[in-house]
Amino acid sequence: MNIVNRYRNPIFTLLLLLIVAALMFNGMSASTATSIVLSGVTLAALYFLVASGVSLIFGLMDVLNFAHGSLFMFGAYAGWTFYTNPRLIFNSAPLLLLFAAGLLLNPLTARFVALPRWMRWLAGLAALALALVAARGFPIDRLVAMGMTMTGKVIPTELAQEPIETMLLRCGWALLAGIVLSAAVAARSVEHIQESARRTLGMVIGLTILGLAILLARNVAEQFILQTENNWRFLMAIAVGAGTGGILGALMEWSLIRPLYSRPIYQILLTLGLTFVFDQVVRFIWGPAGAFMEIPSWFSTQGKECPSPDLFAWFSQHCDSIAFFGRPFPSYRLFIILAGVVMLVGIGLLLQRTRLGMIIRAGVQDSEMVEALGINVRRIFTLVFAIGAGLAGLGGVVAAPFLGVYPGMAPEFLLQAFIVIVIGGLGSIPGAAVGALLVGLARAYGDHIVLAGIQLPGMSEAISGSPAIARASTVLIMAIVLFIKPTGIFGKKE
Amino acid sequence: MLKRHLPYLALLLALIGLPYALSLVTGEPLNKGIPLFVQGLMVQVFILAVFALSYDILMGHIGILSFGHALFFGSGAYTLGILVKYGQWSLPAAIAAVIVIAALESFVIGVLSLRVHGVYFAMVTLAFATVAFILVEATDFKQWTGAEDGLHGIPLPDAINPTIHRTEFYFLALAFAVAVFLFVRLCVDSPSGRVWAAIRENEARATSIGYNTLVFKVQATIVSGVLAALAGALNAMWNLSATPLTMDVSTTINALLMAIIGGSGTLIGPMLGAGVLQLLGYLLNLWLGSVWQLVFGLIYILLVLFVPYGIVGTWRARGVPWRAAWRERLRQWTGRSKVS
Amino acid sequence: MSNILEVDSIHTFIGQFHILEGVSLSVPEGSITALLGRNGAGKTTTLKSIIGLRPPREGHVRFEGAEIRGRRPYDIAALGIGYVPENRAIFRALTVEENLKIAERKKNDLAQRGEMIFGLFPDLKRFIKLPAGQLSGGQQQMLAIARALVPENRLLLIDEPSEGLAPILIEQLMESIRTLSAHTTILLVEQNFRMASQLAAYYYLLDDGKSIQHGAMKELVNDRATIQRYLGAA
Repeated sequence: MNIVNRYRNPIFTLLLLLIVAALMFNGMSASTATSIVLSGVTLAALYFLVASGVSLIFGLMDVLNFAHGSLFMFGAYAGWTFYTNPRLIFNSAPLLLLFAAGLLLNPLTARFVALPRWMRWLAGLAALALALVAARGFPIDRLVAMGMTMTGKVIPTELAQEPIETMLLRCGWALLAGIVLSAAVAARSVEHIQESARRTLGMVIGLTILGLAILLARNVAEQFILQTENNWRFLMAIAVGAGTGGILGALMEWSLIRPLYSRPIYQILLTLGLTFVFDQVVRFIWGPAGAFMEIPSWFSTQGKECPSPDLFAWFSQHCDSIAFFGRPFPSYRLFIILAGVVMLVGIGLLLQRTRLGMIIRAGVQDSEMVEALGINVRRIFTLVFAIGAGLAGLGGVVAAPFLGVYPGMAPEFLLQAFIVIVIGGLGSIPGAAVGALLVGLARAYGDHIVLAGIQLPGMSEAISGSPAIARASTVLIMAIVLFIKPTGIFGKKE
Repeated sequence: MLKRHLPYLALLLALIGLPYALSLVTGEPLNKGIPLFVQGLMVQVFILAVFALSYDILMGHIGILSFGHALFFGSGAYTLGILVKYGQWSLPAAIAAVIVIAALESFVIGVLSLRVHGVYFAMVTLAFATVAFILVEATDFKQWTGAEDGLHGIPLPDAINPTIHRTEFYFLALAFAVAVFLFVRLCVDSPSGRVWAAIRENEARATSIGYNTLVFKVQATIVSGVLAALAGALNAMWNLSATPLTMDVSTTINALLMAIIGGSGTLIGPMLGAGVLQLLGYLLNLWLGSVWQLVFGLIYILLVLFVPYGIVGTWRARGVPWRAAWRERLRQWTGRSKVS
Repeated sequence: MSNILEVDSIHTFIGQFHILEGVSLSVPEGSITALLGRNGAGKTTTLKSIIGLRPPREGHVRFEGAEIRGRRPYDIAALGIGYVPENRAIFRALTVEENLKIAERKKNDLAQRGEMIFGLFPDLKRFIKLPAGQLSGGQQQMLAIARALVPENRLLLIDEPSEGLAPILIEQLMESIRTLSAHTTILLVEQNFRMASQLAAYYYLLDDGKSIQHGAMKELVNDRATIQRYLGAA
């Protein structure tokens, strides 16, 4: 009885959904219904990857990250770039690493330089100027030129890249910019200089060496990656996307969100501004036009035995689609579903079975008390932010072969993630999963209806519309949930 | 009394005299060259000032953070455009329709969204606005909205057509901005306005005194939504077009930024913010070209980090414990406490 | 006998309110010291200042001779200070076992000291798998104290343990705290003067954010006037 009471809302929702589903699929053939459900679950998996991160972060630190859709987008772009034409990564990573190395000198700079306030502003400006010098004339458009999508703009790597001496010079400027900036922000962290000088130096030197190594190995590495079989290359791209998301998330939390914990409203004003910045950065680097990404060959083999008659046959055939009830369904989308399920299980295990998960669950209730037990909560915050952002980045790469990469994916996925969260309840991972499933299914059903057209009794011809209508209509579910239960299905009372 | 109003009057006089002064200095007629150009710039400032002020009714006066304000601005623009161009409505009738439609929209969205608090509200309003953006860009309504291209060529009577009678339009926009300023000031000073302030400072207390805070919040949402829609309508008249950009999140960010630059909750602050932002945007655009948007975003972030009280807020904060008031307001905005 | 903790005229602000205006105290090793004072005198803030949750702006806090003011709470706690906040801030969504495990600083802390802890609070062993939110008020208080015992702490800061407990539970609790004091030093904030006077060997009296008087508990018990004046009822 206790259990029934505790899960009253989810159970009620489930029943309601079954009824709605019965009505929706009434009179539909099994193959159509299956295809709608599979498409819906595919979208659900992607929505979940974005929404779960938002929920995780909000649950622990009360920060609603409006930039999460942007992290998804950035992950997608990073993975796609790595997969198709990684030379941008090998040419820009050294600069970023050296800048980071300079910045990480912070604890040491703070020990030697204590600048007055106005000097810190000056130092900040100087760092900006140095960074601009380092980046001046950096041939971004040559480095990103993609052969596959922009015919005629393919530029051989040797011509696109700058000679190694120029790059070394840029690295030097970047390092200097980092060091100057570290002096500018030194005072902020002066009270907790605890890392030993040796550790700091170790990290700085490590990053410097890593950056220079990447720079020197850029041609070899590019060759290696582009010659790797495309399936493995794709898996590597997923790791790169997740890593990019994670690093960006950690950086965001550490540099922008952390100073604002005492001014919570400004945190979300800031993350909203970041969506704008990310959008501009992506347009600046990759241009406003989108691009498609190739589907790896595990999921794109064509032949006369295709589509594979069932999942087992697919394992040997790797067809681009699998037949379900006689209708072919793209096999890559099954991979998306798999990724979503794996991440759901992964998050569940992380939260329930690990010490980190225990700390997160405790921190959701009272992070001060967690800190008073001797746990460095700030580090946990950064880590969780990175995990959430990493999930989004991973989702982005997984989505790219399906949807392509384009600047509009950030607001699109942020919107759907928010609808998911409102439905499921902010801060709840099961809520995010259920909400994602609902929104995904509704979208797939909507797409079907919109394309096939609705013919109500008494109408002479069916009304059909564009996919945009289906995209927009999910907001109706949100409106209904807001009306009936504003806290969402799994949400707690306020 | 006079002393308090003096700066406002001086500003108003300066704005009235601006076209003539420019004409005098440059020697060019009112409808040519620099005077013409500056009037155009200022018209946009007036429109955005009204938009920023309407936004700040929510953020600064009742303490609600909305991320969907572009919805009202854009719907004002499109309502006016569609009715005048395809419905052949007269301008006054179209404006009346803008008011009615905006009031209805803000009522529905207010009632639905205000069931949740704090960041939730920001999230829900953003969702609604994004959906509106998707819909105006959808090809389904292309014959009315023009989809991604937007709605162009709104026919206006010659008497107020901004391309023909720039100076008249300048004064129209100025009069509009002044009227809205006075109106909002009236609202804030009214008994309702005092309840708004009470809700901003401490909603729980306002409820315990016996106010139905939802009613007042919906009221403020409607006032704010209608004013934003009017600003949008004027914007459509000025551009003779309505584009999806008016519905975009960046339009909301613009309003937020203007309110923050000027100083939220200070009435004149957001309007000054509109001026600063518009001029800054113009200069940056001249200087940097298309990268200026990126720079603009970075400036926004720096402001949020380092100058949270805005120009007017910081000015007034000399001495007065404004920071404490702010902190209280911020606590209000978050709306969610961890202790259950 | 040396002092394990020395607080030297600390000033603590919350927002712009000057809460502690010079609190000094010394906690001798191996005993119970009670921090007394009216509601709002600054007792809880003093504990939070020591553990670093409300870092003092001025003054010194020394633990075993080392300055700890300005360090982060997790860092201070890791030196061997256990904090038991008021209102039993246990983690309600975690099980009893997880509540104890989360406090571990070394891998086998709980395994090592589990016997001692469950000896003191047998109820906790019975409900080890239960979500802590479902425990009774008394059990939650026991859990809050037990949690502070899991790692090797040489000083416990206990805030209002008797608050909201039935008299019979208070008796039990006093017994447990007395047993504890054999192992560690305790700085106890307690409104219930009877309880404080029976447990503590020394006292510090706070009023309006200042420490105004201190000494051996035995002397205070007989000082009716002071008790009346600063603690209200006797």
